[in-house]
Amino acid sequence: MEKQQFLHPKVSLAHFFHYRSSSVFVVFVGLVVLFSFFSHRRFISGGNLQILLALGSEFNIVVLGVGILMISGEFDLSVGSIVVFCSFIFIRLFEMGMNLFLAGLITLGVGAILGWLNGLITVKGQIPSFVATLGTMMLWRGMTLLLSQGFSRSFDVMASPTFSRVLTGVIGGVVPVQIVWFAGLALALGLILHFHRFGNWIYATGDNKNAARAMGIKTDRVKTICFILVGVLCALVAMMQIVRVSTFSSRVADGWELKAVAASVVGGTSLMGGIGSMVGVVLGTLIISAIENGLVVLRIPYFWTYTVFGLVIVLSVLFSRYVEARKLKHISKPSETSPGET
Amino acid sequence: MGVILTVSKKQSSLLKLVSFRAANTVIVFVVLMLVFTFFTRNRVFLSSRNMGLLSKLAPDLGIIALGIGILMICGEFDLSVASIVAVCAYVFVLLLKGGTSLFLIAIITLGLGAALGLLNGLITVKGGIPSFIATLGMMMFWRGILYVSSRMWPIGIRAYLPAGTSFEQIFVGRMGGVIPAQAVWFVGLAAILGVLLHFHKFGNWVYATGDNREAARAMGINTDWVKIGCFMIVGILCAFVAILQLLRLGSFCCTQGQGFELKAIAASVVGGTFLTGGIGSVVGIFLGALTIQIMENGLILMGIPVFGIGAFIGLAIILFVILNSYVERKRIS
Amino acid sequence: MKADSIGESRGVLVKMVNIHKWFGKVHALKGVDFEVKHSEIVGLVGDNGAGKSTLIKVLSGVYLAEEGEIFFEGRRANITSPGDARKLGIETVYQEQALAPNMSISRNIFMGREPTKALGFMDKKAMDKASMEALRNIRLDVASPDLLITVLSGGQRQGVAIARVLHFEAKLVIMDEPTIALSIKEAHQVLEFIKQLREENISVIFITHNLYHVFPVAERFVILGSGEKIADVEKKDTSIDHLTELIVREPSRL
Repeated sequence: MEKQQFLHPKVSLAHFFHYRSSSVFVVFVGLVVLFSFFSHRRFISGGNLQILLALGSEFNIVVLGVGILMISGEFDLSVGSIVVFCSFIFIRLFEMGMNLFLAGLITLGVGAILGWLNGLITVKGQIPSFVATLGTMMLWRGMTLLLSQGFSRSFDVMASPTFSRVLTGVIGGVVPVQIVWFAGLALALGLILHFHRFGNWIYATGDNKNAARAMGIKTDRVKTICFILVGVLCALVAMMQIVRVSTFSSRVADGWELKAVAASVVGGTSLMGGIGSMVGVVLGTLIISAIENGLVVLRIPYFWTYTVFGLVIVLSVLFSRYVEARKLKHISKPSETSPGET
Repeated sequence: MGVILTVSKKQSSLLKLVSFRAANTVIVFVVLMLVFTFFTRNRVFLSSRNMGLLSKLAPDLGIIALGIGILMICGEFDLSVASIVAVCAYVFVLLLKGGTSLFLIAIITLGLGAALGLLNGLITVKGGIPSFIATLGMMMFWRGILYVSSRMWPIGIRAYLPAGTSFEQIFVGRMGGVIPAQAVWFVGLAAILGVLLHFHKFGNWVYATGDNREAARAMGINTDWVKIGCFMIVGILCAFVAILQLLRLGSFCCTQGQGFELKAIAASVVGGTFLTGGIGSVVGIFLGALTIQIMENGLILMGIPVFGIGAFIGLAIILFVILNSYVERKRIS
Repeated sequence: MKADSIGESRGVLVKMVNIHKWFGKVHALKGVDFEVKHSEIVGLVGDNGAGKSTLIKVLSGVYLAEEGEIFFEGRRANITSPGDARKLGIETVYQEQALAPNMSISRNIFMGREPTKALGFMDKKAMDKASMEALRNIRLDVASPDLLITVLSGGQRQGVAIARVLHFEAKLVIMDEPTIALSIKEAHQVLEFIKQLREENISVIFITHNLYHVFPVAERFVILGSGEKIADVEKKDTSIDHLTELIVREPSRL
């Protein structure tokens, strides 16, 4: 709850509900209670939460970007491929013996360029981002496979202990750094999305592009920046993953593209753009990671994960549609009849 | 055969069919054929062996793409196709083990496909949620169910179905000892669906629904059921492909079909279908599916490692769609 | 306010001279002259394809005219983009409402021109306060600036769009079919908003098919037909019937 209070400092539960995250929150709490109860609280034990958040943060960070991009009205199906391509670039730079911080910067740069390319193809080529990024998804995964010949490569964590600690360390022996990255990025991006004027442009672009353009917002640039953001986040996650498992594998992040879209949608983001919130996206992706982890804690075979994913996706969206429909009915009445109440 | 007769009666319709935004696809298709013919060693691409292989393999994705394309024209997506294929294949194998009569099994399997499509349609239309999400959920749901109930063991069918039965001949035999039955099915289904989409009133409803749903509804078209109908067509075609694949491979595997969902959309898009609905043609989709398959096949013959093929297909999709939208804009202005 | 005192001796705010516009081979505007005085409401009427929207888009910087000049407050104005027009104080309320339905009222009013504090963060308080003030000025009562546009009626939405131009101190407001697709009651509400604009000394160009909507509020009527100006009449010299006749008649017969 603290986080929501912070993101919406002015008030109140009402404001929070206003941001369409209410139903997501209900689903999230329901899942946590369910998992905790049936796992005899193993689910909420410190050890498990540490695992859940440290592992989950990699995917979660990508979802932050995908969610914002979806609010601006675009898709990115190439996230998994950007992650794997950036991993390859990073491991090659490491093998060349480059200073890791410099290599990290270059990797982030590559991520930004791949994101920018997605934006360029979508915006200048005037083709739907769904198709554009479906193409780049195949392109970058294929390129990585061609370049790496499908072999894994190993990474030495001790090459730069500082670098490793920055990405995958544990603060005070308890808190994995990944969580800090995730929370920090969520907070920063949340502030920008909800309180910075650029955030307003993102919403306007996704909600009514023509209106935004008529009001002088450079919608193409807004979208491209969102694509670049996704690329940079993917590059960051690529490095985190390599440092954590100390290997490069060309299968990394396979299947993330649809999972990330699912997480955003479960978090209340609209596929059509213009609707969504940072709180919702965070909760949505936490729901997805919680399911993955919770089933393991409950000792349910991993096979079930996908079935539960499927159910949760469909049911949560149906649920939020229902809540939405009721809320709209509820709001629209008083607004027409009670004038002048400031 | 039916369609050829119908079309030759109306020469202009044929022309219209080709020019209906499928022209770019035709050009790309022909260029690819030429490139692969001349740039593979000994023109191995055109060899009867390779052509035979292609015409056996291509219909799997092709038939699904036909359904997906029509569904996209009416304005919806289906990401669950690969999972429907696998579920249908699984049920087929289970029934086969149970010793049910083959033709009854085939009918049950096709019915199951239709039912799964119906479910997708109902969730999308009656639940009022985007089909992208509804079918993404169903894709994961069915795949998960399959993992659990098959315990991820592959199941061979040869123990229950001896090779060379007439049932098998119908689906994967060879017409006149030369043409694989799959290819005939592919062309035949394309013809039937083409007639349905371009000459039957249902086809008109599909276009109207995808192009302007409100207008279609105002004209008395039950757009909900048009969409559900398209979902069911996709389901039935998936079940059909499940049978084809099962008979060709001789075994069921719970990862069957994986990756088809996005490839089928890519094929439709390359065939000139619009993601926003209302635009597309069966000729385009047919060629789009072939184009993707030929590209895969041709690139492998040109010596590009199998695992890297995706890079080229991805690039090709982007370039093609940019070209397509450029031509479209030129045409309009 | 002071509208009446200015009324008599008011000068010309904007003047368009000999405007030509081609779309390929189509000659959409054939040398149109058009002017609006200070705090004047002009009805720009004509049939579909008469060139109303084209003329207005030239003025608001969406299209560039091939020939002709625009003078704003007596000075020659070079309007090549919507931004240029906006800088001069020409604001447009679009037919397809330029509002984002899932954003709040205040976020819509300041879309693209958000007042900011440090580092580009929005000054939400100032936005809310100014929004409510602008809405009050056109006598539109809403409960809160945080209401989403979706929950507003069609008339209220036009009100928000009008409040937006009012807040940004437009000198000339172009309204493209603001009453189309509205119920009678809502259309009436919009007409009231337009009268409020005049009270604030803002000139209005009101484009419409609907003479019954424009006639009560406008002071002068300009009729376009096939890209030419057919008539330019004061309200006192005309009637709805007369205007209808002018619109229906072919320009060549004049």
